[in-house]
Amino acid sequence: MIKAIVDNIKGLYSLLVGLFITGRYGLGPFPAWLKLQKPENGYPQLTTHYPWQTIEPENLVNFRGPLELVPAEDDPAQSRCVSCLMCVKGCPSGCLTVVKGDQGKAPKVWLSDFSLCSLCGACVEVCPAGALRYSHDLYWVEEKRENLVNDLLAKLAAPRKASL
Amino acid sequence: MDINLWSVIKLLVALGAIIALLIANSVVMVWLERKVAGFVQRRPGPYAVGPQGMLQTIADTVKLLSKQIVIPGSSDRFLFLLGPVLCMFPMFIMFLAIPYGPWLTGLEINLGLLLILAFSGLESLAVLVGGWGSNNKYSLIGAARTVSQSVAYEIPLLLAILALAFMTGTLNLTVITEAQTGWFWHWNIFRQPLAFLIFIITCFGETNRAPFDLPEGESELTGGYHTEYSGMGFALFFMAEYTSMMLVSFLAAVLFLGGSSGPIGNGVWWTFLKMGAFMTFMMWVRWTFPRVRFDQLLNINWKWLMPLGLLNLWLTAMAIKVF
Repeated sequence: MIKAIVDNIKGLYSLLVGLFITGRYGLGPFPAWLKLQKPENGYPQLTTHYPWQTIEPENLVNFRGPLELVPAEDDPAQSRCVSCLMCVKGCPSGCLTVVKGDQGKAPKVWLSDFSLCSLCGACVEVCPAGALRYSHDLYWVEEKRENLVNDLLAKLAAPRKASL
Repeated sequence: MDINLWSVIKLLVALGAIIALLIANSVVMVWLERKVAGFVQRRPGPYAVGPQGMLQTIADTVKLLSKQIVIPGSSDRFLFLLGPVLCMFPMFIMFLAIPYGPWLTGLEINLGLLLILAFSGLESLAVLVGGWGSNNKYSLIGAARTVSQSVAYEIPLLLAILALAFMTGTLNLTVITEAQTGWFWHWNIFRQPLAFLIFIITCFGETNRAPFDLPEGESELTGGYHTEYSGMGFALFFMAEYTSMMLVSFLAAVLFLGGSSGPIGNGVWWTFLKMGAFMTFMMWVRWTFPRVRFDQLLNINWKWLMPLGLLNLWLTAMAIKVF
């Protein structure tokens, strides 16, 4: 009985501790505005306010965005692709279209339908030439489904400007 | 109270003002709640519509007003539509009896406290009607939880308030407020701290707010009693939640926090300021504590609040008899 009472009083104290922690953050930006808080503690917001702020590129290096082709070592406008079509076979969603070029091994059409792609990475795994990788493009938005078909060769020749 | 033209006009004006107050309260407090939730979880909260997202609730209201009310085919149509209406109606009567200031009250009666406590029982009936009429297992479980929770939590609430009635010897809210004028140590929170603690905890149980929001517990009952409601049906239930929050906040201000008396310039604004502070506290608690389990909820009530309430009542009666 006494133990139960002591436990409950301890429980009430722990509730106060919880209230203190959330209350400190719950004041929002006001302590920083009123200079009650050190600037390094700063505004306690953890999220990025997207349309007004974007994430720095160095924090996006492990983001798995839409596919892109790896440029060749000697010519950055050329791809390392050898048109073996392993990626087309390996793709579970059937979203890749690769057509071999007339001379040599270089492809002449390389389309990735991002509306079907599930970013599973089977094509990246299977590529013998190491010609595929994920891009770090977080902010790609289109209004029509057809526009999501991504011409990777054209993108390699003229990289799209990162939106925003 | 004699019925004449003047008293009828006064009642009508008071009702109009109360309706405006309830709508304004819902709009402002929903915004504030989302903002508090955002800050507590270290995100900005509503931001885009209006300065600091202040117009977000108005946009949401327009959306809810223009939405279709879907009535499930197997539901009891009459009860389904009656639920949300019945949820809002007793509110107007309860707000009439609250003394906002020394002279500002809608209905001057000497049993104001009894009136408020009697009509606050109707809210759980409305929830039961809505939940039963929906013909949905989640709604029904939510409604059943509301009833058992409200019935349980009304008893310690009454015991806590009864101690105040012992002290002042009246159920007239205006007189209870007047007994607390002067400096803040005259407030009932310092004379009856245990009653205030019980009152706070039962407030969360009565208004179905977190950590006692089991009737609508999203994680287990989808939406609880308002699962099947859309459009204005849902909006009325939502508004009733914020209205009952405001009601218990006004009660806390009037009964325990000295009503309209303050450090400087006694007046109506102090009641509203205390109400706002208490509502903000309720939001703060909601975004801090996890939801309790149902047996825990009833254990808190029957094993702790009831005996403590009785003890407090007995001590108060002893003190009144001795001194």
